[in-house]
Amino acid sequence: MLGENYNPMAWPRLTFVIGKGGAGKSTVATALATHLAGIRPTVLADLDQRGSAARLLGLRPPDDGMVRAAQRLDICSLSARRELEHFIERIVPVRMISNRMLGSRTFTYVTAALPGLQAFLLLSRLSSMAGEAAREDRYVVVDGLSTGASLELLSVAAGVRNLAGAGTLNRMAAELETFIADPNRFGVAIVVSPQELALREALEAAGRLRDQFRIDRVVAILNGVAAPVFTKVEAEQAMTADPEHAGLVRRRMDFDAAARRVRKELGAAGLEVIELPMLFTAAIGQAEVARLSRSLRNKVTA
Amino acid sequence: MKRSFIHRGTHRLLLCLGPGGVGKTTTASALGLRAALEGGAVDVMTVDPAPRLLDALGLDAGTSEPQAVALDGLSVSGAGSMRALKLDPKRTFDAVVERYAPTRAMAGAILENRLYRNLSEALAGIGDYMAMEKLLELYDNPSTDLIVLDTPPAREALDFLGAPERLLDLLNSRATTLLGGGLRLSDLAARAVLSAFDRVTGLHLLGDVHAFVRSFEGMYQGFAERAARARTILTGPECMVLVITSPEELRVEETGAFIRSLDKAGIAIDALVVNRVAPPMPDQLRLGKVKPASLQNKLRRNWRDFAALKERESASLRMLGEMLPQGVMMLAAPDLGREPRSLADLAEIAGTIESADLRER
Repeated sequence: MLGENYNPMAWPRLTFVIGKGGAGKSTVATALATHLAGIRPTVLADLDQRGSAARLLGLRPPDDGMVRAAQRLDICSLSARRELEHFIERIVPVRMISNRMLGSRTFTYVTAALPGLQAFLLLSRLSSMAGEAAREDRYVVVDGLSTGASLELLSVAAGVRNLAGAGTLNRMAAELETFIADPNRFGVAIVVSPQELALREALEAAGRLRDQFRIDRVVAILNGVAAPVFTKVEAEQAMTADPEHAGLVRRRMDFDAAARRVRKELGAAGLEVIELPMLFTAAIGQAEVARLSRSLRNKVTA
Repeated sequence: MKRSFIHRGTHRLLLCLGPGGVGKTTTASALGLRAALEGGAVDVMTVDPAPRLLDALGLDAGTSEPQAVALDGLSVSGAGSMRALKLDPKRTFDAVVERYAPTRAMAGAILENRLYRNLSEALAGIGDYMAMEKLLELYDNPSTDLIVLDTPPAREALDFLGAPERLLDLLNSRATTLLGGGLRLSDLAARAVLSAFDRVTGLHLLGDVHAFVRSFEGMYQGFAERAARARTILTGPECMVLVITSPEELRVEETGAFIRSLDKAGIAIDALVVNRVAPPMPDQLRLGKVKPASLQNKLRRNWRDFAALKERESASLRMLGEMLPQGVMMLAAPDLGREPRSLADLAEIAGTIESADLRER
């Protein structure tokens, strides 16, 4: 499975972070970028549109361009729509016409008539960002999309290559397929919470990423693993000791059981699993992101 | 079962909107179940149910026809009936094309089109449009009291309600003009972009798009009429609009934006349902009596951990409450501490949904 030049120690230039809504995708992406920025300059690209990454670091989300979040960490925001606008501005050199087009219903026809175009342009952008990162010895972390939307985005390379039998687009599509399969340039981190539904979705996604898209570097980040408090015997004692607290003890034990099951199944699927602790804090902000990034220290190495 | 907010007024439709990953399908199903247990004849239409939920409802994933949900196991007296269906956009679209195409040959031309076959899933708003088609079908059944409509996870609040218009835009005769012989400056520019893209890329998509749009000639009118009718129903007084969310901090801003854009589009929401709200915390003082001390300490630590989470949740709920327009209900669906795996679990959620208007507490 692994390519000849594969170096298990090298973290890919670009990490595409995906996950089920509520699994903590943005928090994990921000923590990962913070950690990597301790090794090399890092760009955190927010594709998620909610501006969560910036907010977690106590900043206002950038509209366009970059904001500096820390000494070696910059945040930028990406959107498929903006890539399409840039593309049309390039193709239609007369500003007045392209502006009118972008503001008109005609624009809707163009986008509707070429489904996948926006995704294709976005994927091309990621590929060039990874290229730049390699040249300038940086990392890129993308706070990506929900799992389903991410798979749709990645499938566009093969989809376009099949549609266009030959020509430039066929070549571009083939290049994108090579890009996402290259473990040095591209990796996917699937954020999983210790829950059945998130696990199923992650396993299915991992299977497709590896078999269908030939993506070599797929890791699972198991987010929100609660440290065990009670042994089984203690839990039983505790539940009889105070019936009102029994509910909380049961929840704690359910956390443990869920984490064990999910850890086991991810491992059985042959996935590299990185665990992050559950934070029992009254808020999630800069301090918590810093804590998570510290716990990545020995798990994600350059 | 006592009749709940679902039956206030004359609602025949419950539209469940909301961002992805908040448990929208589960909540929609629980609300449908509640209405059925209160005696209604209820149809629940889901878009992307989890396998567990399909199991809980006893649904076969292989069909997109309504299937009866067996309620007798819950032994609730006076229960009505519930049907659930899982929408398969591609299959529904095929069926719509077959039903409304003027000739078999035209239906064949659409279904065989390269664009349709490769990209129908990505084709602008097709899934949402199909949800509307199915909705009208269910709506025209007079023996149904209530339809609960779960929607695909949306990034933008208006994704769902605006989808039919996007599809119609593509099929509009103006699109044909654009591809065949446009006149306006911006149209010409759009055509130039398309053909430049086609030429440079070797995609040769234009011909297919043109053929695809052309093959809908004669069907457009019907499509437009049904979309308009669905929109009238969905924005009319018979439809109760719910926004479903969960109490995570990072969701608050997103939910607020969601509600504001609905408001801007003139769509009044009736209630915000916050899913997975943790139960109230027990009293920590009770732990003073627990022995041995080591166990007491562990119980205290466990309490502190959960209390911190509860505090985080309360802050989110407060912010959600503050951004909600006057007169909009705010309801909580309980966190069972596990994922619902049976109809009884769903009934447990359903039974406690109303009891928690958080702002009145």
